Amino acid sequence: MNILIWKSVSTLSKRTALLLLTALVIQPLYALDYPEEGDFAQGTKAWSENCARCHNMRSPSDLRDDQWVTSVFHMRVRAGLTGQEARDILTFLQGSNARVENIDPGQVESTTTDSASISGKQIYESNCLACHGANGKGSIPGVPDFNEKNGRLSKSDSELLSNIITGIQSPGSSMPMPPRGGNSQLSDTDLNAALKYIKASFSE
Amino acid sequence: MNINRVAKTIVFAVVTSSFSTAALAEPSVEELAERLERMQQEMDQLKQQLKNSATKDEVQVIKKDVATAGEWLQPDTLIHMAGYADVGYTDSESEDGSFNVGTFAPIFHFQYRDLVMLESELEFEVGDDGETETNLEYLTIDWFINDYMVLVGGKFLSPVGQFRQNLHPSWINKLPSAPPGFGHDGAAPVSDVGFQLRGGFPIGAIRTNYAVYISNGPELIAEFEDGEFELDGVEAEGFGSDGDGEKVVGGRLGIIPFSGFELGLSAASGKATVTSIEDGDSSTLSDEGARDYDVIGADFSWHYKAFNLRGEYVETEVGADTGSGTAASEGATWETWYTQGAYRFNQSNWELVARYTDFDSPHNSQDQQQWAIGTNYLFTNNFIGKLSYEFNDGQAGSDADQDRFLFQMAYGF
Repeated sequence: MNILIWKSVSTLSKRTALLLLTALVIQPLYALDYPEEGDFAQGTKAWSENCARCHNMRSPSDLRDDQWVTSVFHMRVRAGLTGQEARDILTFLQGSNARVENIDPGQVESTTTDSASISGKQIYESNCLACHGANGKGSIPGVPDFNEKNGRLSKSDSELLSNIITGIQSPGSSMPMPPRGGNSQLSDTDLNAALKYIKASFSE
Repeated sequence: MNINRVAKTIVFAVVTSSFSTAALAEPSVEELAERLERMQQEMDQLKQQLKNSATKDEVQVIKKDVATAGEWLQPDTLIHMAGYADVGYTDSESEDGSFNVGTFAPIFHFQYRDLVMLESELEFEVGDDGETETNLEYLTIDWFINDYMVLVGGKFLSPVGQFRQNLHPSWINKLPSAPPGFGHDGAAPVSDVGFQLRGGFPIGAIRTNYAVYISNGPELIAEFEDGEFELDGVEAEGFGSDGDGEKVVGGRLGIIPFSGFELGLSAASGKATVTSIEDGDSSTLSDEGARDYDVIGADFSWHYKAFNLRGEYVETEVGADTGSGTAASEGATWETWYTQGAYRFNQSNWELVARYTDFDSPHNSQDQQQWAIGTNYLFTNNFIGKLSYEFNDGQAGSDADQDRFLFQMAYGF
């Protein structure tokens, strides 16, 4: 059958046209469903690297999940993002747009008590590094420098952990840090491990 | 003896009293049964109330659902409105200061799954005469072919350079004005009508983005000055028809070798024809031939923490008359470039901006060199107050030579 079809398009131009038509018909099929799910950690990185290329960073909590869908697809066209980058960024934004509320540190409830499944360093690199930078100095405007003497890390561990769990809007910062760094999958123990890594790496 | 009697009497009285009190307080079996029944009924009522009321956890879940719920459940089709608006005040050397409504530009998005999106930006402006001008800034249907290709059809912002397609919205532009030559009728094309293929792809660790297009292209304006016709300008603002039948092809390639730095190269080439005379009778035009039309551009952007440096160069060249047209025999070149630096103070909402632009056109009255300095206050990242002063240097007495003070409040939504 295939041979018959191929023979019927004898000329080079017809074959070229057939190939182009086949490519055009097949390609949309790939677009109907996500080839790969978005990755939160990759999305954090892609978001911090791409959005500020043109404009001030918008806070994830600025828009609802459905609003972020159209906004990210709009930006995919404008910024020349790949489909995977767009899905990664969308996963990050939809996972991070919970509103930051002022909660008394004493009222923060622990969600889990198990030990951290991965090291604080891995947690930091996957979830925090995009905004706070590998050296803890902050990679986007408004993010505090962890290395500063009497800076952010001079607060007590319990207060810092509370801020990480509930999220925090720092005065003068362009946007709030989302609760749990935007990753609701991280347990309190994971966050505590990340905090220990941050203090050990940057507070001296 | 008497004492013993009195004592016995008292003891008897107390014991009798105690027994009689206990006997009086003791309810009957019937009363107890009745009480029990009432309590049972009350308990049943409470159980029923408890069944009908939500637990604390359920209330929390409902609160969360309400907080995150959209106006409708997320179906295959999504509708969203974004956009920007600005208002301000301008005071130049030659004119009295006046308040102005710059632009209201709503952008509509209609998206069907991850397959297609319709995007459209309208632009409303209030002119000096109080009339409201309405323009269709762009209208495209974007077909997401695959992860690396998007086919864009319709009227689109020109992908030549970065300013027109990505930086001109007032909540993004760090100064209240566009760099000379990057506005309407400048050196850089504004928009076009046709089809465009856009996307991005990685080459190892290097990321790239691209746009290639075919379009109707621009039209040319001539003017009659000093007894002869000259080319006055290039109208590259998305014509819905192609009078001369000559198409323009062009595009931009952006390269991001490392995070925070982007380099872009742009070009467009085709034909364009004189179709009108500035402040004159266009019917006098005859035998106008299509002229060569070529654009080249380059742009860069570099971010380092709170510091941003960017620049852009565009040159548009129109060739000499190829026929026996009446408009102008000579060709013309428009050229402009700018460099802009911006710094946002750490842990602060204040930002400083400085920009230098040099615009050269075929007409001395339009040539302009400009230094613009400004201070911005970011109420939020999408609501910005801007104060700036422009030192303009152009032909003496012309508009291009007037220094200006500008204030603008811009809001992106």
